[in-house]
Amino acid sequence: MLRESARTLFERAGGSGRSRKLRDAGGGWDAGMIREMAEAGIFGVTVPEENGGLGMGLAAGGVIAEEVGRVIAPEPVVVTVGLSLGLLRRLCPDHAMMEQLVEGATVLAVAWQERGPNGGPAEPSCRYADGKLTGSKGWVAGAGGARGFLVVAEGDAGPVLVLAEAGADGLSVEERRQADGSAMGELSFSGTPAGELASGGAVRAALAEAVNDATALAAAELVGLSERAFEITLDYIKTREQFDKPIGSFQVIQHRAVDLNVMCEVAQSGVREALGLMDRETDPKARARLASRAKARAVTAAKKITRDAIQLHGAVGYTDEFEIALYLNRALVLSAWLGDDAYHRRLWFEAREEEGAAQ
Amino acid sequence: MTDWNAMSDADFRKEVRGFFEAEYPEELRNLPHRPKFAEIEHWHRKLHAKGWVAPAWPAEYGGMGLNAAKLLIFYEEQQRWGVNRGRDMGVQMVGPLVIKFGTQEQKDYWLPRILSCEDIWCQGYSEPGAGSDLANLRTRAETDGDDFVINGQKIWTTMAHDATHIFMLVRTDQATPKKQQGISFLLAPMDQPGVEVRTITTLSGETEFCEVFFDDARTPRANLVGELNKGWTMAKALLSFERIFIGAPNLAQNALGQLESFARGRGAFEDPVFRDRFAQAALDVEDHAALYSRFADQLKRGETLGADVSMLKIWVTECFQRITELMIEAAGPDGGTVGPLQVGNVNVDVLASFYKARPTTIYGGSNEIQRNILSKAVLGLPG
Repeated sequence: MLRESARTLFERAGGSGRSRKLRDAGGGWDAGMIREMAEAGIFGVTVPEENGGLGMGLAAGGVIAEEVGRVIAPEPVVVTVGLSLGLLRRLCPDHAMMEQLVEGATVLAVAWQERGPNGGPAEPSCRYADGKLTGSKGWVAGAGGARGFLVVAEGDAGPVLVLAEAGADGLSVEERRQADGSAMGELSFSGTPAGELASGGAVRAALAEAVNDATALAAAELVGLSERAFEITLDYIKTREQFDKPIGSFQVIQHRAVDLNVMCEVAQSGVREALGLMDRETDPKARARLASRAKARAVTAAKKITRDAIQLHGAVGYTDEFEIALYLNRALVLSAWLGDDAYHRRLWFEAREEEGAAQ
Repeated sequence: MTDWNAMSDADFRKEVRGFFEAEYPEELRNLPHRPKFAEIEHWHRKLHAKGWVAPAWPAEYGGMGLNAAKLLIFYEEQQRWGVNRGRDMGVQMVGPLVIKFGTQEQKDYWLPRILSCEDIWCQGYSEPGAGSDLANLRTRAETDGDDFVINGQKIWTTMAHDATHIFMLVRTDQATPKKQQGISFLLAPMDQPGVEVRTITTLSGETEFCEVFFDDARTPRANLVGELNKGWTMAKALLSFERIFIGAPNLAQNALGQLESFARGRGAFEDPVFRDRFAQAALDVEDHAALYSRFADQLKRGETLGADVSMLKIWVTECFQRITELMIEAAGPDGGTVGPLQVGNVNVDVLASFYKARPTTIYGGSNEIQRNILSKAVLGLPG
């Protein structure tokens, strides 16, 4: 039901063709589409009914994310469902922003990671004191179109979650262009005013869970993306002729296609199972391990499928004109964001060791 | 007669597990080789007395009458406890064949003898010129009075040197337009002058496989199962359950467990490269199990499996091989050593696992054949 309505919504809006137009127009998203998605209940899928959501689980969120991935829609579904609402519904479910996010009236980006001197991730040092933020944050997805930022910063007594308006004093946003035309924000604050929403250990815990959710949803988005990339490729090898035959009649092409298909099915089953298990699991460490399992699998599959898809398309696969290129570029961004497969295998293994040692 | 299917899955699992744990002889757990019947006869007697020799057969023929869901549980528990399948060709192949296509006389005669292991069966399908291209088989059977006279050769016949009977595909009509036509199913006794068995030594030094030569061997015409020249269709019908069974996660899961205890003992996890490759293999096994459940659920709902079930076999056998290759890597300079390697208080036979994994991508339809099937029947690719 959810799947069909999401698919119809995206297809009617123009499928991946719409995503291409938005990319060509500068890489933002479509506010009208966001409202339509909100009307379909997409952003509030995991928000409790008393807060205006559908009150469903992460598995249902995954169904939507798969559909987003199929048409590589740029709208911030994982950012909103996983991160901003993931934080707010855990820390301040009665905040007015909740409703606005669920209704698609606004988008908030979430800033929690920081960049170190070597350019890689570093320990957080961005400070919040006397109602003002000082420091910087990196890898802020959705920063370009967001009305504001949920920032996790270091307060006088531990971590705090604060809300800074886009365009606030002392806030500068550098947009780093990504392979798919979207932008990742680099934020710097110098005495930027921000309102405190929550503080203490609960912030850290909620952030960890929100990141788990977002990681799992990004995995589901990659599954949808991989499936569609495979379908496009399968159609292509059935119709493209060389040596007076469809290239899909050659065994070497057939066997590669089968391997991609198998990879796709394994990823779909593995990721869906992991999200379903996350809904039944309350231990954050176990949920983190499942999220890592999902992302590791989804990235491995998406990388393999989109890259082989280019090869199976031959020279036209290397052009921007063909649809498949958009899938490769989106897969690059979704793979790197929130950790790639090697990163998540490491987390997964460490979590498994820790659980083993605890038993 | 117990109606096992009426039990809850959990109760049934408990019942099966309880019996295996209490009754299965410890010395036979996780046998690294295929046993001859004499080696496992005492276990077979227990199983026979319990009425559990043929879990899939209908109860009226002496089976347990399990539905697909219960059958999967039975096999899962069997593999979990390392219970040897025994000499089960009769139960797995001949029984279903006779039940489905045999006459009442054939059922009355053969089925009880399969259950009691009075007859021990081997499978005569492959020939030197008919492996992946099985329909190319040439062993022929011609009528002579009340008998068929059989001439030709079978190969890769598992445990033929410890079998009393062979069920075989033979050519009974030489002049058909398609080679899939003109093939029939025959049952034949092994103990006769026209049958000669030679064992084949595998690269691991085992002698599980045989060649079987037929030189004017005879079998009564009454031992034709089903219609003459319709054997190919029947053989295909018999494969339906085997296709998910051959893609079950257990072999890879067991190997992963062995790899983990061995690698831990050897300190291989200190190497971050090894850790990553282990994590990859472990996740490959977990996500395969998720896909397997999807197909198993289809069976449980009473649906027929499509050709896409072949993907389970491709994934799990190749994964099984990678795991055993990692074991050899973890063994370092002992990677070529025959026999169990002791690590702490566990023994792991690294080479035995490696060898065991090799033929899995060849038997039951090689993985290349499986890919051909998927590309045509599932992806709809031409040619």
